[in-house]
Amino acid sequence: MTRCSRTRGDSLTLAGFWGMSRGIVVMALLGCLPLAPASGSEKPLSDDDVTFFEQHIRPLLITHCYDCHSEDSGEMAGELLLDRREGWSKGGTGGPAIVPSHPEKSLLMRAVRYTDSELKMPPEDKLSATEIAHLEEWIRRGAKDPRDQPAPVSEEKSIDVEAGRAFWAFRSPEKRRVPAVAREDWPRTPIDHFLLAKMEAEDVVPAAPADRRDLIRRAYFDLVGLPPAPEEVDAFLADSSDEAFDRVIEDLLASPRYGERWGRHWLDVVRYADSNGLDENAGFAHAWRYRDYVIDSFNEDKPFDEFLIEQIAGDLLPYADDETRQRQLIATGFLSLGAKVLAEPDKTKLAMDIVDEQIRTLGRSVIGLTIGCARCHDHKFDPISTRDYYSLAGIFRSTQTMEHDINGVIISRWWEHGLAEGEERELIEELDARIAILHDKLANAEPKEIAALKAEVRRLNKLRDQTPSAMGVREGTIANVRVHRRGSHLTLGDEVPRGFPVVLTRSPVEVQEKSSGRLELARWLTAPDHPLTARVLANRLWRWHFGRGLVKTTDNFGKLGEVPSHPELLDWLAVRLIEEGWSIKQLHREIMRSRVYQMSSHASDETLRRDPDNRLYSRAPVQRLSAEQMRDSLLAVSGLLEPTMGGPACDMPNRDLVFNHTSMDMTDYADRRRSVYLPVIRNHVYDFFQQFDFPDPANVSGDRNTTTVAPQALLLMNSDEVSDSAEAFAERLIEEGPRPDAERVDRAYRIAFGRHATAEEIARSLRFLDRFREAMPQAASAEPRPVPKRAWVALGQVLLVSNEFVYVP
Amino acid sequence: MLGEREMPFSRRRMLQLGSVGFGGLALSALLADEARAETLATKEEGPLAARTPHFAPRAKRVIFLFMKGGPSHVDTFDPKPMLDRDDGKPLPFDKPRVTFAQTGNLMKSPWKFKQRGESGLPVSELFPHVAECADDLCVINSLHGTNPAHGGAALKLHTGSDTFVRPSMGSWVSYGLGTENQNLPSFITICPTLAHGGVNNWSSAFLPAPHQGTPIGNASIPSKQAVVHHIQNGRLSRAEQRLQLDLLAEMNQTRPPSPIEQQLEGRIASFELAFRMQTSMPEIQDLSRESDVVQSLYGLDDPITADFGRQCLMARRFAERGVRFIQVTHSDTKVQWDQHGSLVEGHTKNAKEVDKPIAGLLKDLKARGLLDDTLVLWGGEFGRTPTIQGATKGKEGRDHNPEGFTMWLAGGGVKGGMRYGETDEYGYYAVRDKVHIHDLHATMLHLLGLEHTKLTYRHNGRDFRLTDVHGRVVEDIMV
Repeated sequence: MTRCSRTRGDSLTLAGFWGMSRGIVVMALLGCLPLAPASGSEKPLSDDDVTFFEQHIRPLLITHCYDCHSEDSGEMAGELLLDRREGWSKGGTGGPAIVPSHPEKSLLMRAVRYTDSELKMPPEDKLSATEIAHLEEWIRRGAKDPRDQPAPVSEEKSIDVEAGRAFWAFRSPEKRRVPAVAREDWPRTPIDHFLLAKMEAEDVVPAAPADRRDLIRRAYFDLVGLPPAPEEVDAFLADSSDEAFDRVIEDLLASPRYGERWGRHWLDVVRYADSNGLDENAGFAHAWRYRDYVIDSFNEDKPFDEFLIEQIAGDLLPYADDETRQRQLIATGFLSLGAKVLAEPDKTKLAMDIVDEQIRTLGRSVIGLTIGCARCHDHKFDPISTRDYYSLAGIFRSTQTMEHDINGVIISRWWEHGLAEGEERELIEELDARIAILHDKLANAEPKEIAALKAEVRRLNKLRDQTPSAMGVREGTIANVRVHRRGSHLTLGDEVPRGFPVVLTRSPVEVQEKSSGRLELARWLTAPDHPLTARVLANRLWRWHFGRGLVKTTDNFGKLGEVPSHPELLDWLAVRLIEEGWSIKQLHREIMRSRVYQMSSHASDETLRRDPDNRLYSRAPVQRLSAEQMRDSLLAVSGLLEPTMGGPACDMPNRDLVFNHTSMDMTDYADRRRSVYLPVIRNHVYDFFQQFDFPDPANVSGDRNTTTVAPQALLLMNSDEVSDSAEAFAERLIEEGPRPDAERVDRAYRIAFGRHATAEEIARSLRFLDRFREAMPQAASAEPRPVPKRAWVALGQVLLVSNEFVYVP
Repeated sequence: MLGEREMPFSRRRMLQLGSVGFGGLALSALLADEARAETLATKEEGPLAARTPHFAPRAKRVIFLFMKGGPSHVDTFDPKPMLDRDDGKPLPFDKPRVTFAQTGNLMKSPWKFKQRGESGLPVSELFPHVAECADDLCVINSLHGTNPAHGGAALKLHTGSDTFVRPSMGSWVSYGLGTENQNLPSFITICPTLAHGGVNNWSSAFLPAPHQGTPIGNASIPSKQAVVHHIQNGRLSRAEQRLQLDLLAEMNQTRPPSPIEQQLEGRIASFELAFRMQTSMPEIQDLSRESDVVQSLYGLDDPITADFGRQCLMARRFAERGVRFIQVTHSDTKVQWDQHGSLVEGHTKNAKEVDKPIAGLLKDLKARGLLDDTLVLWGGEFGRTPTIQGATKGKEGRDHNPEGFTMWLAGGGVKGGMRYGETDEYGYYAVRDKVHIHDLHATMLHLLGLEHTKLTYRHNGRDFRLTDVHGRVVEDIMV
């Protein structure tokens, strides 16, 4: 620190140019150099040696190194100790720190000279030139070190797998006996038994059945994400048979709107987006094919195990026809859709970051584990080791996600499956061949040719990018990965065979030598005795129905996740799911036919007091509409909703930057189809979504928040989206024909809330219309005028943003 | 989770007190299972309630002047005599293992440096007005980051991570301190760039939503036209909207009490606040209320400086009204300070646009006594190489350089007229008293009275920090 005067000169001298080439450095770090065996203790130390050490070296090590590299520091950074001879001769993660008599081969010298941007020690303050010279001299003299404390036995903390397996989430779910209850007439389904038994144990009385009008509204929003039309409400109310609600469930499950709602849940989980986000926000113009695949899969109730296998290893499955093949390829988009640092200049790091993203996503989305923590160190809480991590990393490193980079490329390209057929396919193959030739040429090109060659590659790629294709993965170069110490590809450890986390593996699973292991991984995840896959899914389905999971942390079933509030029920649901052939629709039926699902959201004061946060599910939760439900409902009641399904989210060219240095906002959400078809732009999520708790589309999310903030109110008061809907809503009311104002108000209530307005509500609304009219500019005539459309628009808007519209009872 | 059972009652109490602010009731904070650090939050007060810091703060708020694209430190605040001497010679040591682009030999600065103020702080002739404030500047010459590309570096600077989506520093500050004006957002970003991380650079990520930055316009919009999204209604008058809100309030009162009554009331309160903001925001942004003297101090009377001047003046007006973190971005529809070529032309233009407004802001804050507790931070996502990029005569430029660069701080408890840390003799690497981005974050939080290791948020089973597992507080620069 200097009170500014001049820069200090002496400390600024960098050590001289270091001649060794980069490649050798890396080899040295990898431990490939034939280093002489570290020694230094063979000959007795001369007095000179001791004096030199005590005068120059020990003080230096104490001052600059012991803070992190001594036993007392408790840090043992890089697993390197410099407080004893054995410490540096054994070395740390990078191998021996000092090669006696060979400063040029000693990592320590490299570190203190600051010539390697990855390895600079001490990290904060470079040693002075004199200090560096002393170290060099000492090593040249043989690194004579009088300190001869015995080296500590570095005990590698290993994970106790057997103890880990005792944790509830790592044991296979068991078929649970349905518990008996005192109120035998109350339960309708096994689910009711599980929940009532717990309520009875805590002396809590469940709520009464829901008002039927509330119930049908709940079912519609839940299964299809839209409010029922007044006629649909009437039909249900008129049907007094016992099966009336079952029929509603069946109708809704059969509706194509179902997949649009429940497919979106899965898209949250797989961090679906139509652009890359992160550093370079390139458009995923072909991602929509994966989104449509998900919606279709939910609509046809594809067994979840099959659904998952296709997403992880669709490209490796047998197929009978082209259509099946295409679907399987599209499904692998799951692994490719992550946000990537496309302009990362270190392309090896980029490759491992992509593998990491895939492991994190797979871990949290399928089995609810934060496996990503084990990239740099053994998981601190769950029994997942770095070996487990790198056994999975081998699987994804053997999988091709990216195109091969051209030399010096800045923005890398993700791989896509070509889906073109017939003549178009031939054209694409020709394009690919020409691009491959150009790549070869580039590898050996003269500097002056490079720009032209690259431009040609870009031109051909641009053509290629607009042909039908799907983001996805395929088999790459099959190889195991070595442990990356501290997560860095510059400090590699032992090779690990491709495989799965040991704690979750009952019997060893062999990954075939010539395959990445994705298919084995997918089959292993969906094996009936897998402890997590079915539980995680059943819990999410519960969360999406009830607003809270039996395990509240839907994406973390590890030690730091929450334990299930109803473990027996969770197991029952998981086992049931598998017994029913992984049918998600069947689980909807199980849940929605229960008495618990059909309860009122109101409860007695006594119940509220005993179960204040509804931990026991003693009443139905009141849930706010999600962003998509809200927008879709606005469009639906105002008659603006377009029912067309599927297809591209927008017409942007593939890989173009959605947002670039111009900061121009090119996104467009004018489409009036359902929200699931709007583009999901990472880094710049549609404002309507962003404000109403749409999850970050770069991260797995099985559980959305519900926040209430002022910008939501600004949006509901002033946005074109809401104003347009209010206007269309008013027009719809007016176009239905002339009727007294009071009747029109009632009609508005019927459409918006599925119920008639009360007398008081009608009176209040009429007063509003009157006062609103008075607020209008006075015309010349003193006659009272009819209520202008403007007033109906204003009234409609109030209804559409009111609590009753936005919250489902 | 902290006293979840008591929550409904305390929420009710809060609503009775009518203390629902811009954040309203952040139910993510109240209901989500992610408990926040108990040292900070008393949830009953709402997420944006002003909070007591960990220890006595030196600064109460931050104004971050972000120079998008990466200004060259060796041409602005980090003079290198050796670079002048060895112009045209090769760099006598290795370039980093990973660079953004290829560069050639050393290139001296085309600008002269002068020692300015009583402190003699060297400032290049690019910044004649800022140089008048030299004795207020605390110049850190030894910043370093990790990522040599714009996107990664901008994310690292704003969020501490260039690999994952993490909360931005403004949202951490908001989370840590709340805000002093419940009628305004706690974190405002004026004309931010939408590229290179975009919203992630001001998002709250997994922190409760009220802590996200509220953007005013973006970099493609002249600051004169920049407004908060949806702040105006083009179809209904204010009186008509008042009628709407009255009806809305009535509708929600007469239904039988809902089991989530408090949530619903909070929602109505949020409408009232939004309604007030519709008036207050345009008032704050109306710079015609400032005297001619003040306007010209910020360069509003000159077309070259007017755009950035308006941003700086707005920043002062927000600071006065208690906004906790205000970011001002200098970014045009190109990558403003990114002079891979034509360094002289580009940096001359850029410096001209910001020099007078920044000096105006510093002088104005000082005159109003605001500089004492307002931390002003200036810099880009990285610096530039001392080595040359581009061979065309007159079009020479410099590449990105995260290995060593300069940012400066002013006010808010930092020493003026000082330099801290050094790059090597050519300005390529930070070598002495190095300050990593994480250290900058730790230091900024410290100045605000927050201990960076204690400002944590539990998410996905882990306590997250702005500084991750890093961060060193640079105490030497503090008063």
